[in-house]
Formats: sequence, structure tokens, C-alpha cells
Amino acid sequence: MGDQKRHRILMVSDFFYPNFGGVESHIYYLSQCLLKLGHKVVVMTHAYGNRSGVRYLTGGLKVYYVPWKPFLMQNTLPTFYGTLPIVRTILIREKITLVHGHQAFSTLCHEALMHGRTMGYKVVFTDHSLYGFADVGSIHMNKVLQFTLADVTEAICVSHTSKENTVLRSGLPPEKVFVVPNAVDTAMFKPALNRPSTNEIIIVVVSRLVYRKGADLLVEVIPEVCRMFPNVRFIIGGDGPKRVRLEEMREKHGLQDRVEMLGAVPHALVRSVLISGHIFLNSSLTEAFCIAILEAASCGLLTVSTRVGGVPEVLPDDMVVLAEPDPGDMVQAIKKAITMLPTIDPQEMHNRMKKLYDWHDVAKRTAIVYDHALSSSDQNLIERLSRYLSCGSWAGKLFCLVMLIDFLLWYFLKLWQPDENIEVVPDFKLTCNQDQGPMLDNHDEKT
Amino acid sequence: MDSSTSGGSYHTQPKWRKVAYGGMQPGFDDNHTDESFLEDIVMNANVVKRDILKVMLDSVSISEYLCIVTLVGLVWTYTLRSTLDENSLLFLDIGLLGSGFLILLFTEGSLSLSLLLHYILNISYFTTGLYVLAPIYQTLTRSISSDSIWALSVSLIILHLFLHDYSGSTVRAPGDVKNPSLTSCISLNASIVASVLIASRLPSRSHVFAIMLFSLQVFLFAPLVFYSIKKFSLHLHLLFSFCLVTITLVYVYFLHQLFFILLASLLIFVTIVCPYWLIRIQEFKFEINGPWDEAKLCFDIRD
Repeated sequence: MGDQKRHRILMVSDFFYPNFGGVESHIYYLSQCLLKLGHKVVVMTHAYGNRSGVRYLTGGLKVYYVPWKPFLMQNTLPTFYGTLPIVRTILIREKITLVHGHQAFSTLCHEALMHGRTMGYKVVFTDHSLYGFADVGSIHMNKVLQFTLADVTEAICVSHTSKENTVLRSGLPPEKVFVVPNAVDTAMFKPALNRPSTNEIIIVVVSRLVYRKGADLLVEVIPEVCRMFPNVRFIIGGDGPKRVRLEEMREKHGLQDRVEMLGAVPHALVRSVLISGHIFLNSSLTEAFCIAILEAASCGLLTVSTRVGGVPEVLPDDMVVLAEPDPGDMVQAIKKAITMLPTIDPQEMHNRMKKLYDWHDVAKRTAIVYDHALSSSDQNLIERLSRYLSCGSWAGKLFCLVMLIDFLLWYFLKLWQPDENIEVVPDFKLTCNQDQGPMLDNHDEKT
Repeated sequence: MDSSTSGGSYHTQPKWRKVAYGGMQPGFDDNHTDESFLEDIVMNANVVKRDILKVMLDSVSISEYLCIVTLVGLVWTYTLRSTLDENSLLFLDIGLLGSGFLILLFTEGSLSLSLLLHYILNISYFTTGLYVLAPIYQTLTRSISSDSIWALSVSLIILHLFLHDYSGSTVRAPGDVKNPSLTSCISLNASIVASVLIASRLPSRSHVFAIMLFSLQVFLFAPLVFYSIKKFSLHLHLLFSFCLVTITLVYVYFLHQLFFILLASLLIFVTIVCPYWLIRIQEFKFEINGPWDEAKLCFDIRD
């Protein structure tokens, strides 16, 4: 690459700490690693409870909690133009050069990307989930995504399957879509010092107990496995609407002493749950990437998973047993995993994971995407409008109208509060404790 | 391509793999689009090839039911005009009940004395209840103008036709496991409310009883009878429908010519234009499936 360009990036998503999930940790770790590479990163999200205003996280990561209340599933109310003033102010205050939005169902992300494009910024979008093409919800989401991606500079997907999905949904040329996977903080997910004994095989499930995570498959699979292997126990971490069904199953088959249900597990305790088991079972029905598998593998567990979405790409074949999302096939896969178990060395698996996945590598690859985005040519309004127009006979005209109004509002906003009147935030350098991120790499080397 | 197979002496380019692990693949950028891109896409996998003749034959059920509802409307009109008196209505009721019963017996084929007794008992309960309630129905809408009642009835009947379950019947044969859908229940209720409204405009208690019995018989049991006929023999079903359509058209012609034209064009629309339309728009069917789809569970969740 030669001399590194310093980017000034605004990460936008409705999903960020204190909320927890794949997108949240992706943004957090990516930002931390980009900061270490010398880029400037600012995060923008909506207010969580009374957590509103500007906060600094580890490593000098600045977070704007915009006082904009979520209304449904942690999403802000879609107002199209309501966020324009604050997005503009943040972009100018922080001298941002590039806007990076995350997750297709974050309204804040879509709005910020739209305003970013209106103001002539280069924007990058990361898609973290998969969508079908059949139901009404997906059709609506796909149209919204088409609108945002029509004018996006570059897009990032977390797996190759996700890239295929995104290209189909948005009609973006495939060469503009990059695949940069998630990673795992291997320092946080280390195997147990002494391995649990293999007299009793413990299968761990950590997931929200909802339909999409395949809780109904678990209801079919668990009694069958318990019947076939008297020395198998299950530990289920997670809560959700399907928990009742699992408890019913446990009662019905008299498995109270062999299936332990922990309820919701805070993320900080996930490792302690994982290291108490030998096999990790993932029963998702749809998954773009599945960080949970990485966490389990990093703790040295052998994974059994359904072959859905991007899951087959996540781990090498000898670290995971894949099965079709069908109870019979999954029981066979668990059987295979139990026979494979003696050959698995958790520590060796952990060391392999360290080589396979690293957030620093993810950050470097993302920075390359940023370089690509910034080196692309500038386009004027007319050229961009023509891209929207090609999105569909009705939708295209609607999209153009939305963009034109945004452009006008931006113009009025500039008259009302000129750019020069917005104070620029001075940069400050963290001099000490720069290495003490959450990713205690140096600690890792000592052990 | 060939370099990967020969290998060794000169720099070999490793093949691109569809994996997410191991960092950026040497020699390939992250936006590399392999030739295997989208190779797992499946298009129009679940699309049913439709045959225009079959669709037209299926649409006959709809025409048939349209005619039945029209006939009910005719009976209502003639009763309100006092062309039909209560005695002929009662004879009509008994005739319909008897013939419906016979058809069911022939087509279902399971004749037993206890079942027959069971049915007769139920029907007698039903008619007694209806007779007791008839005075209430008679005075139900006295304070409302006839125009409003007609307008409301017509809208309810249109709602009934829109939501009706044309492929089965809302009232099930005994022993049927499947429950009727919500829309078909709403449809049935709309038709019953319309019958009550019409009955409430009649002059005497026996009129009300006769017309209520007639409407309920038709709306509750006609779909079941026709469904049984269709299941028994398609030819019989077609013949029956043809007779019904002819009779209805003749009667409607004598009632009003405009209604005749409307009904005839509606029947043509349903049996000829709609099937043709459906076949035409099939060409635009574009269904995409692939590995990103949510997996479907192959078992029933509620057992």
C-alpha cells in the first residue's frame, strides 16, 4: 500500500453499545482497530435510555448518542429528513471524510448515508444480514436497500453468500461489493486451562430462543440425542419466546437432570458457559455469518451447525460438522461430532483460530475499501439522480424526489447556518495507555 | 487454471475459495467476483405450470356459486314483492333439504340409521330455534328504511362473495380434521347477517321463518353439497353447474334485462377472461431462491 492515508470515518448505525449483538461488536472492534491504525473514528447512534450526548469509549473512541428515541426494535422513527441537521453538524465538526453505515434495517444508517451523499461525501455500507425475496417485509426492505445502495460508493458484506444476496437485492455491480468477514476477539475467548473430562459429553447452545435461531429444531433434536447417548448433557443459554417449548420438551421426556437451562447469558459470561462444554450446537435457520460459532471455536469447542446462509464459509471443514436443518440429519451430525471429539485439542483449535480471524486484519481490509471509495470519481447531482431513476418505474421517480428535497433542505440549512459557523473539534492524541484496548493482545502473548 | 494442477516449478496462483476465514486470499482482492458467483441461485423453482383448460374448469365452481347467490337474491326479491307466498317457500325449503340430503347420501356413500337419526334430531332443534326467534327477526330493523337495509345487504353479499372459500366448504362434513379459515368464517357470517336483514323486512312471522330457513340452508349447506358432488364426479359437477347457470340466467332475464347483462358478463369474466389473464401474467413470474433463504422446517411445529 505504501504510505497510509489517514481516514476520518463516521460509523453510523442504530445498533451500538450498550445494546449487544453481532453488528454492535463489529462496529466496536472495527473502530478500535482502525483507531490503532491511526485513522480517526467517530460513532453515531441513537440515545439508549438516559445515555445521550457525547461519550468516549476505550482508546478515545468518540460516540455521539443522538437524542432520538428508538421506536421499534431499537430503530429510530424513519423521518427521512429529521436527522439532516445533526448529521451535517457532526460531519463538519469532526471533519469527516467518509461515512460508513451498518446494517440494512437501521433507519439511522439509511438516513445518514443519504445525507452524506447529498453533502458530497463518499459512503460505504456494510450489510450484516440475509433477506429472502418472497415475503412482504423482505420486499419492502429490499426496496429501501436499493435506494441506499443506488448511490453508495462501496458496499461490504460479511460473507460471500451475503454478497450474492446483496447484489441480487440491490442490483449493485458485484465488483463494488467487498467481502470482509467478522472476526473474534480470541483474547477474550480462550479455552479452559484444564479440559472438562470426557466421561460426560456436554453440548452447549448459546442463542436467543426464537424461531429464526432454530429453537424448534432443538426441541426435536435434544430428546433424540439424549436417548442415543446416555452420557450427553445439554446446557442451553439464552432466553426468548421459544423457551417455553424447550421447557415443555424437557418435562415431557423427563430430561430435567440432563438439560440445563440458564436463561439469558450476559455476553461477558458467554465464555464461562462455553468452556464448560465440548460441543457447540448452532441451529439457526438463517445466518449471514454467525459470530457465535467463532466464539465457540475460539474456546476450543467442536461446532455442529446447520448448513444455512454463510455458515459453511466460516470455519474449515475439520473444525465444524455441518448438517441440513432437519432433526434427523442434525442428530447424525452430533453423532459424528461425538466420535470426532477425542481428536480435538482445544488449545490447538484456539491457536488456529488466532491465525484464521483477527480484527486487525478486518480493519486493514476495511481501510482498503475506504481507499477505494475515496479514490473513486466525484459525481454531480444530475449523474447521481439518473442512478436513482433506474431503480424502477415508480420507485425511481420517488427516490429522485426524496433526494431532491434532501438537497434543497441541505441548501437552506447552509444559508441558515453556514459551514464556517460550525465549530471544528480539535483532535487530541491519546499519549498513554494506548495499547490498553479491550483486545489485550500483549496479555495474550504472556500466557 | 492449469497452473494450479501442474504446480511446482513456476509461481502458482492458488485457487479462490468461497471461504471467509484466513484473511484476504492471496492474489485476490476482497471484491473479487469468482465465476462461481451466484451459481447456487435457483429461479422459479416453485412455480406451477398452469393449463388454461384446467384453470377454466376450476373457475366453474366460482360461476356456480355466483349463480346460487343470485338465485337466493331472486327468491328474496320475489318474496318481498309477495310473488312467492310462505307456503310455496316452505315447500321449497323441504324440497331443498330433501334433495340436498339425498345428494350427500349418494356422493358420500356412508348411509347408516344412527347418523340419519342424528341429522334429523339436529335439524329439528335448528328449525325449532329458528321458529322461536322469528318474531324477533321480524321487528329487528323496523326503525330503519328499506333502502338502507337493501344497501347493507348487497354490500354484505359482495363481502360474502369476496371472502367465500370456493375450493372447499366452510361447513365441514363430520370427521373433517381441517378447520375452516378465518376469512371463510367471516364470509359465512356476512351472508347470515344479510339473510337476517332481508327477513326483517317481511310482513308475517311464517314468512320470516320460511325465508330464514331457506337462506340458512343455502348458505350453510349448498357449498358442502356442491363440494361433495365435485369430489364424486367432475362431469356431474360440470353438468350440474351448466344447468344451474342456464336456469339462473333465464330467471334473471325475466326479472330485469340489465341484471341479465351484468350477470352474463360477470360469468364470462370469471370463466374466460380471468383464466386467460392468469396464464398471461405467469410469464412475469420471477422467483429467486438460494442459500440465503431462511430454512423451512420440515416438521409441524405444534404436535
